Amino acid sequence: MQTLAALDYAIILVYLIGTLALGLYIGSKIKTGSDYFLAGRRLPWWAIGMSLVATDIGAVDIVGTGGAAYQHGMAVGNFEWIGCVPAMIIGAFVFIPFFWRSGVYTIPEYMERRFNVAVRSALAVCWIIFMACNLGIMLLASAKMMHVHLGMTVNQCIYLTAFLVGVYTISGGLAAVVYTDMIQCIVMIGGCLLVLVLGVIDLGGIESFHTKIKAQEQIQRQKQVADTAKEKTASAAQGELHTSLILPADADTPFPWTGIFFGLALILSPSYWIGNQAIVQRSLGARSEFDAKAAYIWGALLKNLIPVIVAVPGLIAFVKFPELTDGDQAFPELISHLLPVGLKGLFLAAFLAALMSSIDSYLNSASTIVTNDFYKRFYRKNASDESLLKIGRIVTLLLVFWAIGFSFFLMSRSEGIYTIFQTLMAFFQGPALAILLTGLLWKRATGIAAFIGFFTGVCFSITLFTLNQEPVYTALGIDPLFQISEPFLYFSIWAFVVSFSLIVIISFLTKPEPSEKIEGLVFGTKSQKRIG
Amino acid sequence: MTPLHHIGNFIRDLVVQIPLWCVRALFVGTLIAVFLWVLRLPRETTTPENATHWYQNLKVWACLALAIQILIYSIF
Repeated sequence: MQTLAALDYAIILVYLIGTLALGLYIGSKIKTGSDYFLAGRRLPWWAIGMSLVATDIGAVDIVGTGGAAYQHGMAVGNFEWIGCVPAMIIGAFVFIPFFWRSGVYTIPEYMERRFNVAVRSALAVCWIIFMACNLGIMLLASAKMMHVHLGMTVNQCIYLTAFLVGVYTISGGLAAVVYTDMIQCIVMIGGCLLVLVLGVIDLGGIESFHTKIKAQEQIQRQKQVADTAKEKTASAAQGELHTSLILPADADTPFPWTGIFFGLALILSPSYWIGNQAIVQRSLGARSEFDAKAAYIWGALLKNLIPVIVAVPGLIAFVKFPELTDGDQAFPELISHLLPVGLKGLFLAAFLAALMSSIDSYLNSASTIVTNDFYKRFYRKNASDESLLKIGRIVTLLLVFWAIGFSFFLMSRSEGIYTIFQTLMAFFQGPALAILLTGLLWKRATGIAAFIGFFTGVCFSITLFTLNQEPVYTALGIDPLFQISEPFLYFSIWAFVVSFSLIVIISFLTKPEPSEKIEGLVFGTKSQKRIG
Repeated sequence: MTPLHHIGNFIRDLVVQIPLWCVRALFVGTLIAVFLWVLRLPRETTTPENATHWYQNLKVWACLALAIQILIYSIF
């Protein structure tokens, strides 16, 4: 096991001190809740765009996507390509300007204006659970990798990361998050690019890499053919190439084209880019409507690069270390073997950057939801902007403690990091998209229908997940519902279909919302001016 | 077997029949549809007020991002 040299530590230290200093400097300018949660609505497009990418590509993705690419091939790149770019562009021109003009702090807040408080609370609770769990997952992902290189225990790694992110997020709120994310985005792309370039050089160049991966694919395919337990069609075996983005529907992978297209591109991705508080909150803090749109387009352009620097190293590991049993070890192994002194420190700084940029965003957004959708909504309706700042900081601190505790809990689990993350999202992203689309696009959608549709959709996806667990279907004496190993993309499709259908049916059976209530909140109603 | 199993098996049998070239056409076609939609957006929704240069039009950059996607999904 290789450890870091003094130069590596120096590079990491410089990066960490720089990030902390910037966060604390921005924190010194924060005076109100609006400054804290929406950066005083003064953010430029270039900073938001890079922050969007940095938030979306966390340490979970570097380790998890690299690991998934190692195990299942380039199809994991779909999450950053068709799973991001079209939704970001449609979001930029259609949905984001709409939210920006409404002047809301959170997406659940919009839901109360459009539907009712029950829909707002249900959505806010789901986001809080998702973000809180994610905080723990992200801390654990970092610890899994850092303890190998830093010579620290997993617990020490968790404490260190939580402390660093906590300090600048508590101090500077959204502005600190966005501007540090911007630096983290540059460091992260630079660091991952380094691993990619050195990896390709190590394999003898692009041509040699291409030849070696084809050879490795042949070996893998021969193994699959020899495996009589797996009954595949000839087309499925032929289509399952490590370099293919589009995999057959019956392929032995979590990423068959049906899940990618219907589950990811049509459901999870739009739901994430137009309904995820941690993502949308940045554009709500934009200094103008144009900046809010431009940030998403800039982010979409950067997204084109991400699978190349994150997933391709997984393919390099596939060629270089074909004997690995755990895909999540692909990236750490590459770093151990490829990077010399100094560059290893730079990559670890990049990894820390990816980790911090996601944790700080979820901390800030979870705090925004707790403060605005629960504290202000139910406890202190007339709370001053200054008191909201204080509450926001306290909530952020409590969330840091929670994240530490939850990451310790997760340590005893063995499931792949990426799978846990995606399954959590898939439980409610489909129903969330159903209420968002019907709320924004259909005047006839009612609050009761939205609540029942959302609640039933979430319960339905959890039921599908439960029925697909081996102890459950064995006890019930039935076959698993889904035949692929990790069917999280399918949960979101069916949950969306159930929610959407229920919302439409129940809306027709219930009294329409008064037109004055939904004015300016639905497309086709009176056009909005910026509120607040 | 529950009714959900029957529905699932029916859909699975159906989609397995679709050849991969059709699927590729679906992916690329979707991206082209978004590309054309962006091209048709009115100029006032894609440029800031008082814009004087072509590069201030977001349509250009959105189309570039989508063109890269179309290329990627056509090849891989």
